Amino acid sequence: MMNSMNNIMKQVDDVLNVLNKEVISNRQFAIDINKGDVHQALTYLKSIGFTQLSIITCVDLIADNKFQLIYILNNWELGLFVIVRTDIDRDNPSYVTVVNIFPGAKYYEREVHEFFGVTFEGNDSSFKPLLLEIWDDIPPLRKDFDPQVYSDRKFEKRDSDKIYRSKIGGVKL
Amino acid sequence: MVLENQDNRNLWEKIGDYFSANSIWMKWYCTGCGAIELPPTMTSRFDMERLGMGPMATPRQADVMLITGYLSTKTLRRVIYSYEQMQDPKYIVAFGSCTINGGVYYDSYATINQLDKYIPVDLYIAGCMPRPEAVMNAFADLISMIKKGQANGWRHYQENYEWYKKNQLDSLEEVIIHDEFHE
Repeated sequence: MMNSMNNIMKQVDDVLNVLNKEVISNRQFAIDINKGDVHQALTYLKSIGFTQLSIITCVDLIADNKFQLIYILNNWELGLFVIVRTDIDRDNPSYVTVVNIFPGAKYYEREVHEFFGVTFEGNDSSFKPLLLEIWDDIPPLRKDFDPQVYSDRKFEKRDSDKIYRSKIGGVKL
Repeated sequence: MVLENQDNRNLWEKIGDYFSANSIWMKWYCTGCGAIELPPTMTSRFDMERLGMGPMATPRQADVMLITGYLSTKTLRRVIYSYEQMQDPKYIVAFGSCTINGGVYYDSYATINQLDKYIPVDLYIAGCMPRPEAVMNAFADLISMIKKGQANGWRHYQENYEWYKKNQLDSLEEVIIHDEFHE
């Protein structure tokens, strides 16, 4: 298994402009690429057997002022996963959709738009709400969103002078 | 919220309560993680049919609604819809710490913290989650409350409808449900 993954990593390295690659386990590896090369990378990986887009997700790298988009692809024949990572700008985050390569990306992009505010050009349905029904704040999975403040504003708390806590270190019997 | 406890029912209401306490239909709608405590409660191990309780598919024919765990704002809209469709008298049993004060989801952006601001709760079961023994105990308590005329949440909801509606709208903005697949 390690052998076929090494072969694929070498192929990927030859064909694509890989900035950084990382072995995560003996069935999983990650590549960092420029944001201009993602569509080329996904098309190539799909052509060599990574036919399933498992998920698109996003990480808020607030210290670097970046969003990291993550595409996880699965190869059913070899049982391999490849994680394609790319950084985009955090101010006015926008990227180009991949629905023409993986049609299932429609809903993943919608989710990323809802929870991080990244817009995907070419996927008009990504602007519709998916899980949150009426949302009136910044996207909730950004690091600068404070869920406690939002919860205090929207949902009334039970006022009680009694606070029950379990004793730290156990109870003496 | 303190529900009034004095018994000013007339004879026919007492008789009606006696009989309805012995044939409670439970609405088949579960929220959160407590749903998994109900299969053992219903099936042969604990067998809630011993108490004359059974599951019912539609809200219009059900008597008791179980809020089994945390409620997201999205679920709360559906719960309010279903609750208002149920026929009087109707009862609500709330499971677990999430319905009391938010539980482990106390700072979540999507879950409410205090259920009895939105719909009247007749009985809380503490725990995270309560085991089927506790659920059975609560059902026995609910039956004795109905017989004594103490399960008056539905009447409280009618009398304080504006208060409940204001709380619902403050947290949910609108209770009406929009669904992209059916509109």
